[in-house]
Amino acid sequence: MSELDLEPVIGIDLGTTNSVVATVIDGVPRVIQGRSGQLLTPSVVALAKNGKRLVGQIAKRQAITNAENTVHAAKRLIGRRWGSKEVEDAARILPYQLVAGPEGHDVRIRLGERAYAVPEISAMVLSELKADAEAFFGRRVSKAVVTVPAYFNDGQRHATKDAGRIAGLEVLRIINEPTSAALAYGFAKQMEKKVVVFDLGGGTFDISVLDIGKSVYDVVAVGGDTYLGGEDFDRRVMDWIVFAFAKENAGIDLRSDKMALQRLKDAAEKAKIELSSSPATSISLPFLVGGGEGRPALHLEKQLTREKLEELTGDLVDRCIRVVERTLRDAGVRARDVGDVILVGGMTRMPRVQRAVREFFGREPSRGVHPEEVVALGAAIQAQNLAYPAKGQSEVLLLDVTPHNLGILVVGGYFETIIPKNTTVPTSANRIFTTVQDNQTAVRIAVLQGESERATDNELLGEFVLDGLRAARRGEVEVEVQFDISADGIVGVSARDLQTGQRQSITVTATSGLTEEELRHILEENVDEALERKQAQSDFERRREAAEAVMREIEGLVPAVSDALARSRFGKDAVQKAVGVIQRVRQALAARDVQSLEANEEQLDRTLQLFKSLAAGGRPPEDPR
Amino acid sequence: MSGERYRGFVFVPAELAEEAELSLEQKKEILYLHANLATLSYWDLLGIPWNASCEEAQEAFRRQALSLHPDRLRGKRLGRFGARLQAIFPKLNEARETLADPGRRSAYARKTASPTERAKLEVRDIQEERRAEERRARLARQNPIVAKVARVGELMTRARRALEEGRWSQAANDFQLVCSLDPKNEEARKQADEARRKAAASRAAELHEKGLATELGGSLQAALTLFREAVEVDPGSSHAATAASRVARTLGDLPTARDMAERAVRAGPRDAAAHEALAQALAAQGDSKEARRVAERALELDPRLEGAKAVLKKRWGLFG
Ligand SMILES: Nc1ncnc2c1ncn2[C@@H]1O[C@H](COP(=O)(O)OP(=O)(O)OP(=O)(O)O)[C@@H](O)[C@H]1O
Ligand SMILES: [Mg+2]
Repeated sequence: MSELDLEPVIGIDLGTTNSVVATVIDGVPRVIQGRSGQLLTPSVVALAKNGKRLVGQIAKRQAITNAENTVHAAKRLIGRRWGSKEVEDAARILPYQLVAGPEGHDVRIRLGERAYAVPEISAMVLSELKADAEAFFGRRVSKAVVTVPAYFNDGQRHATKDAGRIAGLEVLRIINEPTSAALAYGFAKQMEKKVVVFDLGGGTFDISVLDIGKSVYDVVAVGGDTYLGGEDFDRRVMDWIVFAFAKENAGIDLRSDKMALQRLKDAAEKAKIELSSSPATSISLPFLVGGGEGRPALHLEKQLTREKLEELTGDLVDRCIRVVERTLRDAGVRARDVGDVILVGGMTRMPRVQRAVREFFGREPSRGVHPEEVVALGAAIQAQNLAYPAKGQSEVLLLDVTPHNLGILVVGGYFETIIPKNTTVPTSANRIFTTVQDNQTAVRIAVLQGESERATDNELLGEFVLDGLRAARRGEVEVEVQFDISADGIVGVSARDLQTGQRQSITVTATSGLTEEELRHILEENVDEALERKQAQSDFERRREAAEAVMREIEGLVPAVSDALARSRFGKDAVQKAVGVIQRVRQALAARDVQSLEANEEQLDRTLQLFKSLAAGGRPPEDPR
Repeated sequence: MSGERYRGFVFVPAELAEEAELSLEQKKEILYLHANLATLSYWDLLGIPWNASCEEAQEAFRRQALSLHPDRLRGKRLGRFGARLQAIFPKLNEARETLADPGRRSAYARKTASPTERAKLEVRDIQEERRAEERRARLARQNPIVAKVARVGELMTRARRALEEGRWSQAANDFQLVCSLDPKNEEARKQADEARRKAAASRAAELHEKGLATELGGSLQAALTLFREAVEVDPGSSHAATAASRVARTLGDLPTARDMAERAVRAGPRDAAAHEALAQALAAQGDSKEARRVAERALELDPRLEGAKAVLKKRWGLFG
């Protein structure tokens, strides 16, 4: 089988601000250009005023005038719980509306009439990229590797996987963004060294320490902060402007005006980006808000220097460096042992960020990778590896780790770690526990993930009960709890009564926010939609054929009709009218405009009848209209 | 992998012959590892000699991973080898985790030393002991009074050095010896008391550490014993008593939990964690009024204590 016969597979970097799709062609990874020529697709979804769903650049462009129905940064919400601090913080600053899911656990986003689950929103972005890839290959694409921040927890990973399913993709693997970047960085190079990937994107900060050798990409430790990225830098600039504006304009709060706020956000980001290449920039937003009570509108004019920006955001950069320190410590690697530092993510273009990295590691970070594209390229390489392991151009093996401690709840509300963070997967571990009360016949196993020793501070992944234990004094019944994590990162937990062999287990999946039931419903809905679209399409094709046949017949009759009516003024008129109808029908067909086609079909038919009778020598009726 | 590796292992021909997209070497390695998974040492799992270096372990692991990692065999027909592989990789992982870490590797090397290796280590110890004895005998053969002064001087220097290096029990012993040779030596007496106290504290700290490691390993009963021993050796160790209380509480042994916590508070009247432990022990016993009072005291000492806060609030569900 040649490479051409194999179904193409893709890698997708589903970013907070931008998403990218890539593939491997002839052994070389490359980014797939979108249908409108772009490499980066903004991760923005909107419901336009006319009810149309928009994705990408076109959705981003109309955000200012339609802020409430434009969803950006959905990645900050995916797999999060309703009522969590993160969601509450986000709700306060996002212009679109968040509501609780039907079960009250997860977050939904209101767009027009409907509340969408976050994976559904992400799925819209994924579908767009899938369609771009299909347009590029001219054939169906159904398999992908999708990346997530290394520090994402299990719930966030599952939710991302669900998004893939909703978009009609078989997700071969969810892999970590920095690991993916390292894979692309090391691609086709022979190297033996320790590498640190520093990934500061739009919404998340991620770091991975890898030990690369013998084409094994061995992740030693990961760390990060899923709430630290370019958006936070933008927000600092916005707050600074809002504050100054209120001071200069008698306490007018720009945040109360959604449209002004959206313009401000765009301007803040633009200024931040400009300051990466120039020492100062001006922010100018004319007619930003009404002056109130008939006074003229207020304009905003401000200068922002790089120095000021660095002052406003210095603590964010410090936070990154502290995470780096912690992660290196976890990895047992000293800064001077690191052979290369790779910068990933748009925010690493900021000079202050580069300086901080340089100072920390005492070396120049590596150049030569494109910070916005490299993650998708790595995902494409891994997709190729997983889909066609034997046909891989290079022998590559990615050994990733668990980003958080995994364990169970024990007496006293404590969290007992069973698989510590930074353990290479696949892995398994077991631990023996005992009952704590006399004649206790059941134990509840609550599976948790996190770093706190208090169980309540950690993420609950799922729970189950092992019952039918033999009645005995406390401490006498022993229960073995076994954890398995597969190469796909799927967590399985089982508990076994060592005396009776009684056994219970779960596969942890229930935390993406969508229940399996809902997911099925959404998938069916998608299938229905697709069917409808297909139906409409074949309907249209049928009508096109019919109309074209009629038009051909009319055109064929034109000479005869002209002859028949040569001396009548009406004759010329009839032919002209027929040409007009045909033109309108042609336009409708070209635009695939069903309504206008419908409006002209009847007249086309009548014209044909008239022409037929005229050509046959009949008299024209008084008025064909 | 050399043929040496499989010496003494009998491959079942039918198993080896099973149709699968694997090389003969892969099949052999899988069958061998799977059959011996429970008994092979970490060295054997990775196919390296006893006491091989971390780097060798790392490299051997990667070689094994490239050949046996599930991702490298995705989509292949594996037959019954597939299930065997699933059990193997986590084990290789475990071996690497220990052998590629310098501290854990050397501990494991000591534990798995063969009898001859262990004998070598012991011979070295015995030789040192014999040399020390000869030195003492040499001294005793000399003039008794000179010998005594010399011996006191020698002991004092040795004890002081031990003191500096933190070998408290050695120091305590030597000072004590000086006291018996020279009863009027006040300095030696004072130092001996001091060193004994320190020795107890350090022994307790050691037991405490060991207890923590044991607790992490999941053997709570053993951990509790260690913590209690630490408290016995050094009643002033509020940390050990606090830990003992915590573990006892986890084990459901509430009277001990309370007793230990009370000792902790006595030993460390300003130790916030000790107060927290007592509050939790009291709460577990159902004495919520007293528990709240102690929890408040704990929070006065350190307002960030989550456990004490929880006592003041409601408790989360229990295991069971
Ligand atoms: N030249 C620049 N200087 C400073 N910041 C920049 C520059 N170019 C892009 N950015 C910022 O980088 C961020 C986007 O980076 P990127 O596309 O890597 O993020 P993402 O992949 O969407 O997010 P994440 O990886 O966090 O999910 C935005 O906040 C953007 O403002
Ligand atoms: Mg990114």
